[in-house]
Amino acid sequence: MLRFVIRRLLQLVPVLLAIATLNFFLLQIAPGDAADIIAGQSGHATPEFVAALRAEFGLDQPMWKQYLLYLGKLVTLDLGYSFQYQLPVASLIADRLPSTLLLMVPSLAIAIGLGVALGVVASRRRGGWVDGLVSIGALVVYATPVFWLGLMLIVLFSIQLGWLPSSGMVDVRANPAGLAYALDVARHLVLPVVTMALFYIAIYTRLMRASMLEVYSLDFITTARAKGVPEGGIAWRHAARNALLPVVTLAGLQFGHLLGGSVLVETVFGWPGLGRLVFDSLQQRDLNLLLGILFVSSIVVVVANLLADLTYGVLDPRIVHK
Amino acid sequence: MKLRSIVTTTTAAAVLLCAATLPAGAQKKGGTLSFSYQPEPSALSTIATTAMPTALVSTKIFESLLEYKGPELTPQPGLAESWTVSPDGLTYTFKLRGDVKWHDGQPFTSKDVKFSVEKLIAPMHSRGKVYYGSLDVVETPDARTVVFKLKKPVPFFLKAFQPTESPMHPEHLLGALDFSDAKNIRQSDFMSKPVGTGPFKFKEWKKGSHIVLERNTDYWKKDRPYLDQVIFRAIPDGAARAIALETGEIDLAPMNAVPQADIARLGKLKNIQLSNDGAEGLGPLLWLELNIREKPLADVRVRQAISMAIDRKKVVDVMWYGQGKPARGPLVSGNPLYDKSLKPFEYNLKKANDLLDQAGYKRGAGGVRFKMTQHFTPYGESFQRLAEYTKNELGKLGIQVETQSADMGGWLKAVYTDWSYDMTNNFTHNYSDPAIGTQRAFVSSNIRKGASFTNSMGYKNDRIDQLFEISGVEIDPAKRKAQYAEIQKILAEELPVIFLVEIAYSHLWNKRVHGLITNGISMYSNWDSVWVD
Repeated sequence: MLRFVIRRLLQLVPVLLAIATLNFFLLQIAPGDAADIIAGQSGHATPEFVAALRAEFGLDQPMWKQYLLYLGKLVTLDLGYSFQYQLPVASLIADRLPSTLLLMVPSLAIAIGLGVALGVVASRRRGGWVDGLVSIGALVVYATPVFWLGLMLIVLFSIQLGWLPSSGMVDVRANPAGLAYALDVARHLVLPVVTMALFYIAIYTRLMRASMLEVYSLDFITTARAKGVPEGGIAWRHAARNALLPVVTLAGLQFGHLLGGSVLVETVFGWPGLGRLVFDSLQQRDLNLLLGILFVSSIVVVVANLLADLTYGVLDPRIVHK
Repeated sequence: MKLRSIVTTTTAAAVLLCAATLPAGAQKKGGTLSFSYQPEPSALSTIATTAMPTALVSTKIFESLLEYKGPELTPQPGLAESWTVSPDGLTYTFKLRGDVKWHDGQPFTSKDVKFSVEKLIAPMHSRGKVYYGSLDVVETPDARTVVFKLKKPVPFFLKAFQPTESPMHPEHLLGALDFSDAKNIRQSDFMSKPVGTGPFKFKEWKKGSHIVLERNTDYWKKDRPYLDQVIFRAIPDGAARAIALETGEIDLAPMNAVPQADIARLGKLKNIQLSNDGAEGLGPLLWLELNIREKPLADVRVRQAISMAIDRKKVVDVMWYGQGKPARGPLVSGNPLYDKSLKPFEYNLKKANDLLDQAGYKRGAGGVRFKMTQHFTPYGESFQRLAEYTKNELGKLGIQVETQSADMGGWLKAVYTDWSYDMTNNFTHNYSDPAIGTQRAFVSSNIRKGASFTNSMGYKNDRIDQLFEISGVEIDPAKRKAQYAEIQKILAEELPVIFLVEIAYSHLWNKRVHGLITNGISMYSNWDSVWVD
């Protein structure tokens, strides 16, 4: 087990190197660079000004040199400075990470919990009205554009009812502290989490239902039934545990997306997360920042998948990691 | 040198003026003003970037030597209580106030002015060369006197002291940095934790969420500011910003901060005020930029035909929902140098067709005369719709247009770095003087790859070059006005770009806010007189 973990961690090195290289060269394809954008925003910049910026950012160097410099810094875990913000990339990511986690972890937890439960319930009544209701509901939510759903929730709960704030993470004007701050953040969190969770619930419901139906057709379920195990026990204790494997795989993959957050939800609700930082840095051609975020999120994806692999062993003792 | 005082204004006059414009006792002290704009600033000093979000926030923190009154930006005392200009226009002497302190309590002196201009603004500000390109030396005979000596006259020199253009920075905090590399300045902590002399002090910046500025209790105007706090809120989605204004979560959406389609609707709400005033000093102007290096766009008749095919009134009413007015040339009508004798551009498809016939572009198969490509500015929906409209109208003339879309980086590269475009709509600013915002687009010395918002068209007219050169040093206002009138006539005739619309900068605010519109750069002013119910 330990050797398995160590081996997987060592495999990380070439994977991350490949990702870093791919990211670096892919981002070069986009036309224009950060100096163009900053000069453009300034509204009036001489070619000397643009050239000075380019030199300052190291963008005047040949690409292979930029690449080697980038790798050299990466080895020492130095993610460099953001061109746009002129702040260390690591600090910008660290700034946004907590709010991204605050949005994504509850959303994903609710989505997995409810999705699994609804999937099990639907599969037990296959073809019945409960199944139909759950399946259609899941499809409708999944097909609804997430930004539209978010805006509609704002219209209902912020404008019409006035119960919840429409954007941001905290009421800056009131400047709450202590418990009041926590409650205020929670209030701001409701709409984005609901929007986000609804989208993911649909995926997990569909996946769990399909996986359950597959497990139901296996011999050990028939055996359990023959032994007189009640249907509820079969569903939750025997079938669900086996059916969870694909859900764990998907959750492992999606956990990696946590860092990217959801650009759309963060944008609609003005949530200060990493997803928007990715989008903004792409727009601004902020190469360092973009590479930094992509690098950190690739680490998370690889580690999350490792954790998913380890979870298989817990759910299904037949899977042994050597 | 014998100096003749051309402009000397006293603080007493300014106080009288304030008393005249605001009913005594109406203003309330306290409260918060929160506003939103997209994107979030990337730094809090215009030394780092002069992008609009940075300008909006930093101008509450930093001040300059002068303040300005009215749409035409008449200079008023600011950090300088008086000033004189020598008759030859080469020496500007400013007398500084003696009671100004930086937010950290240190006194503000002439050394700070010299440091800010020589070390920061002239070399690093994006328009530093425009204002201070002819600067010879800054002298500081004593702590309260600053003398600017110029190599040649700069007729708009008194416009240089706007808070966005020449923000005063503290030497005692920045002077020790290593100035051999601009990076050291831009990457200094100061750019995100600024210290100025303005009515509001920096308090907190939570990236992606908000910036909080708080009242400077030691401000040199003893009874100002009225507000306790100014808050910038980052709300990236336009519709969400509109909702936040509607629900009262923010008080102000400045400078078209909400989608064009929402502006008129929000302006009709009973708790919201809409104003298109207060941006005259920026002079926003929309035009179609043309690459005129090659035929057919090299032919002035073709450009005139394109101009006649665009119904500017429709562009204002449909694409900009009525916020703006048709342009008549390179200057906006609010500019003091605007030539009032300019005629409206004609919308006449028949004449346009005739012009194209005369130019030799006969209709071929399918009625097509020639093909060209167009880009559009990635500033939002209105610009895309304008591109669709342009394509449609030019199609009627037999000009087949293919539209190409790109994001900001791609658009800037195509238009200004590679000149690989035929036509693009574009949006620029006159700024407070045509020598700052207009000249850059039309002089042939600015046909230079890689510089944004310059002469990407490849337009060269010796008379235009000459007129901009002499008006750039002309200190007689009447002569300068005549020179600019000629420039405007030539450009409106030759159409190196198709002048379209003076776009309005629409500001929307909650009616509990008062005193926002004070001059032609209202949103870039320090808001020390703004108050809330």
